[in-house]
Amino acid sequence: MNAHAKQRMQIPAIYISLSMLILFLVIFFIGNPSFFKRYNLLTIGTSASILLAVGMGQVFTILTGGIDLSVGGIMSLVSVIFMALLNDYGLMAFPISLAVGVLAGFINGYLNSQLKIPSFITTLGTGGIFVSVAYMISEKPLSAPTSAFKMLDIVNGMSFGFKHIMFIAAGIFIIFYIIQRYTVTGRNILLMGSNEKMCWLSGVNVFWIRIIAFTLSGLGSGFAGILLASTLYSGYPTIGNVYILNSIATVVVGGTALTGGAGGVVNTLIGALIMSVLNNGMNVIGIDVYAQQSILGAMIIIAVAVSFDKKKVTVIK
Amino acid sequence: MGIYAGKLAENSYTDQGQLFKIKRFLADCSVTGQLLSLAIVIVIFAIGTGGTFLSLTNIQTIIGLAGIPMILCLGLHQIIILGAIDLSLEGIIAISAVIAGFVIKNPNTPYDLGMLVIPVTLVIGAIAGLLNGILNTKLKMPSFIATLGISWVMFGLAVFLSGGISTPLLDLRFQNFINGTTLGIPNVTYVAFVLFIVLNIIQKRTKLGKYTYAIGGDEILAAQAGINVTKTKIINFTIAGAIYGLAGLLLVARLNSSAARLGNNLLFPAMTAVAVGGVSMSGGVGGALNAVFGTIIVTALNNGMVLMHVSPYTQSAVNGIVLISAVALTIDRKKIGIIK
Amino acid sequence: MDTVIELKKATKSFPGVRALKGFDLNIYKNEILGLVGENGAGKSTLMKVLIGMYQLDEGEYLLRGQPAKMKSSNDAIKEGVGMVFQEGCMLLNMTITENLFLSNEQAFIKNGILNLSEMRNEAKTALAKVELNIDPQTPCSRLSPAQRQMVEIARLLWLSEHYGKDNPVMILDEPTTVLQQKEADTLFRILDDIKKHATIILISHRLEEVIENSDRIVVLKDGDYVTEMPADQASVEGIEELMVGRNLSGEHFRESEQREPETENFLEVRNLTIEGVFEPMSFSVKKGEILSLVGLIGSGKEELCQCLAGVRRPTGGEILINGKNVLIKSPKDSIRSRIGYIPIDRRKEGLATDFDVADNINMLILNSLKSKGFLSRFKEAANAKKWVKEALIKTPSIRTKCRNLSGGNQQKVVISKWLAAESQLLVLDHPTRGIDVGAKDEIYHRIRLLAQEGRCLIMMCDTLEEDIGLCNRMLIMKDGKLVKILNCPAAEKPEPLEILSAIV
Repeated sequence: MNAHAKQRMQIPAIYISLSMLILFLVIFFIGNPSFFKRYNLLTIGTSASILLAVGMGQVFTILTGGIDLSVGGIMSLVSVIFMALLNDYGLMAFPISLAVGVLAGFINGYLNSQLKIPSFITTLGTGGIFVSVAYMISEKPLSAPTSAFKMLDIVNGMSFGFKHIMFIAAGIFIIFYIIQRYTVTGRNILLMGSNEKMCWLSGVNVFWIRIIAFTLSGLGSGFAGILLASTLYSGYPTIGNVYILNSIATVVVGGTALTGGAGGVVNTLIGALIMSVLNNGMNVIGIDVYAQQSILGAMIIIAVAVSFDKKKVTVIK
Repeated sequence: MGIYAGKLAENSYTDQGQLFKIKRFLADCSVTGQLLSLAIVIVIFAIGTGGTFLSLTNIQTIIGLAGIPMILCLGLHQIIILGAIDLSLEGIIAISAVIAGFVIKNPNTPYDLGMLVIPVTLVIGAIAGLLNGILNTKLKMPSFIATLGISWVMFGLAVFLSGGISTPLLDLRFQNFINGTTLGIPNVTYVAFVLFIVLNIIQKRTKLGKYTYAIGGDEILAAQAGINVTKTKIINFTIAGAIYGLAGLLLVARLNSSAARLGNNLLFPAMTAVAVGGVSMSGGVGGALNAVFGTIIVTALNNGMVLMHVSPYTQSAVNGIVLISAVALTIDRKKIGIIK
Repeated sequence: MDTVIELKKATKSFPGVRALKGFDLNIYKNEILGLVGENGAGKSTLMKVLIGMYQLDEGEYLLRGQPAKMKSSNDAIKEGVGMVFQEGCMLLNMTITENLFLSNEQAFIKNGILNLSEMRNEAKTALAKVELNIDPQTPCSRLSPAQRQMVEIARLLWLSEHYGKDNPVMILDEPTTVLQQKEADTLFRILDDIKKHATIILISHRLEEVIENSDRIVVLKDGDYVTEMPADQASVEGIEELMVGRNLSGEHFRESEQREPETENFLEVRNLTIEGVFEPMSFSVKKGEILSLVGLIGSGKEELCQCLAGVRRPTGGEILINGKNVLIKSPKDSIRSRIGYIPIDRRKEGLATDFDVADNINMLILNSLKSKGFLSRFKEAANAKKWVKEALIKTPSIRTKCRNLSGGNQQKVVISKWLAAESQLLVLDHPTRGIDVGAKDEIYHRIRLLAQEGRCLIMMCDTLEEDIGLCNRMLIMKDGKLVKILNCPAAEKPEPLEILSAIV
């Protein structure tokens, strides 16, 4: 897709999202002037990086018109495996854990394509299964061995005044951006979200494209699981729970429509920033942590209600 | 007359024998498959546990355990017949449980509404359900995301209001009722049974029931026939919400304390039970009896696994597999067209 | 005779088309009115006006002497006007009884609940009127098409009685396409009986059937009323002549640009069949040839095209491209064989309307628009521009979303998409459907150019004239059989009439 087209297509949604971001920044700055302190900004950056990783994956499933409710389960599973491997396998823990995420995503995609049932059911089911597997590996939280702290500096260390996790997130963003923008597969994912029947008639292998979209979601969740476990120096089977809500919020708040076809990774980047600023800001100005979930839920409802393309779907179930 | 009747000779109403009536009854209820799967589950676990599974105490246990899930499942299946989905059950249970905790006699608040708490929780649930319905119909949001959003809102609100702690209750009447038995059958089972009867009457003998099935069958045709689709959907979401509210109260009563997390992990078994019962996710098929059988099968399955010392995590993995397979087996792919 | 429906100066337009051109029509009590006309003659628009789905732009619609006020088919039913649709509108998950009384259950409510036995008895009575002897508790999914039709007729009869409307008007749209001959006979026998207290409007392509079973026949053409006649004075030939009417001027379909095809075959089909849909048939298409498939709905021509496009799989036979046997299992295979499919529903099947012109044109050849392994924005734009220019697509930019283009330009985008992929054979499913006159001519021109370039085209058109005018050769199909192959050289186009008699 051409840059001009992208801008024209996304200006409205991105505009709204950007204004929202600025609005939140202003509100939180007024509410608490120390909001822009360096330490706080690094905190925001860290949480934004994790949201970005999981959101990058989620956005591809949503672009095809589906949804992945198993991202939390994948993150939990990956975090546990990552921590379990760290001691014995050292650096190899990174690629292995990532591969687990990819495999989990592949399973989701394969089930969706093969069984032809709504993706929210399959992923709700597999999400539960992934958590169960995580529990089977370890019921108790696994902490990183002290010997591995040095290794986790790959994620937690600082260079040039930024945390490494932000560089990693930037790398993840670039990978997904290239996939969406410069590969045939990425283009087909977008087109399939817009009109699946046409894609099939035009020879696109919709069976595989769907699998790939969910596999990419697994990749994003895998990254997110590793990053989250690294920043917390631990992994446990419920670590990913909140990220089901958060990843969907990240995507829809960024302006990607649940009907598929419109939006993308750039929107999701902004969505991740909004979400982490909002989370952090609410903490800083002292909104109860539990009330925050209500606010996020309401935000998703509003964002979906605004962006959902009602003309496209004749019957809304 | 010949040709019009020819194909369906077995159904001609000149044939009114006893066997035909039974066959028709089974066909009407469409639970033959469920009876079969229940039989399989029973046989496997009866052998696996060396008979313990079939002991009177254990059957009582299963019936008791099935009570609250059955009530939830009866609420949820009402939405699934519409062809929609309701993922808000955990959130609605949380909010109604927390509010029930506020208004039943307790050490933290000065309120004591006594039995009035029953209508209060029903109304709370109904309001949340009404919101689901409005989002789905008026704002035209897909039900899965609307109800998921409502679930998060309600759960967050519930934890916020309760401060994340559980409130012990001082009024023991509820607990005594819910944990009691009458004629050897747990009281909660009677509640579920009454609800089953009520929903069965709604489905079979009211306009609302007929319209619900019509919308599940084909929403556009139903609207063309003059059915008020919006109203029917909203009423169903509201009924389902009220039922979850009732379940919230029963959960509070069972533990004699209220907390937001009471509803956690209840959505999954309820959805599994609906699907296992044969209520198709594509809508318009199955009824209250299917929901009841679905719950009994899933409860028996889980109880059997417990008796056979299967680890709880394996159990939940098994449930996930059962959910996906049951949906895959019951869904009508032609109707859904492109599956997202 | 008493009039039940009176139309005065009935006019209805859609963007680009005047579907009803302002005519008068009277429909009487206790008659069976046969309504005939080609596809696009305005029959279905007229019917939708009668049942309230469309409102007239101009003119009057009087029902039993009063201006009709219905806004939907449901209102119409309550006014005693109903239609049995070709595709059927029954809820298959519910029983006959439930379907019969759906949304009119009020009458059976006692003490707040439905009286099921009363409903069943009433259903039995209603079914008896159409001689349907089956248990009213049967789920509709288990009924045969004939039985479903009868249930719908029973529903209309019951409703008009229920709402106290005497002489209901029942519209039957192609009722016999799904029926066996014996079933059709029974249907007409029952209709003849129902006529005693109802009016029936019969729409059918089977002219013999219409002549035999109706009292009066009205012929429509191009949205206008042509004539009417008592059925006992009508003949199949006479009606066909009226339906086809005037001879079109020679240049309407750019006949002068028609060329003789090359001698070489591009496509050869040998004994291709889908069991139960169309019988084994063989034909070939030469390079540069335009081949029209002609036949009624149900003749198997659509399914034949779907086989070529890879949408459906044949159960037997061979497809040869350039003399080589190819296996077409999916659209992907047919694209590999250089076959392009331009579907009837552009928006739903031909385009990604949220995407821009360039994205749609390029979508089949993305792999060739890469540089260093990644999609090149520059190459994409260049290719899109080339086709916009070549196909004369009127668009503000190659980055305009397709949903903002007119129907004609959307169609050009779809065609360009396949041409960009170097398709040698294009299957065009109603290429001018919903396109206005000027754009139609451009599409015709494009079709001619494609043939001159040596590409093959297989078409199914909106009207018989279009088929005759455009094609080099015509395949006539009837009831799943290939009945005739007809040459249509530019100089001596065959008369529509002789084709029509082969079709019906």
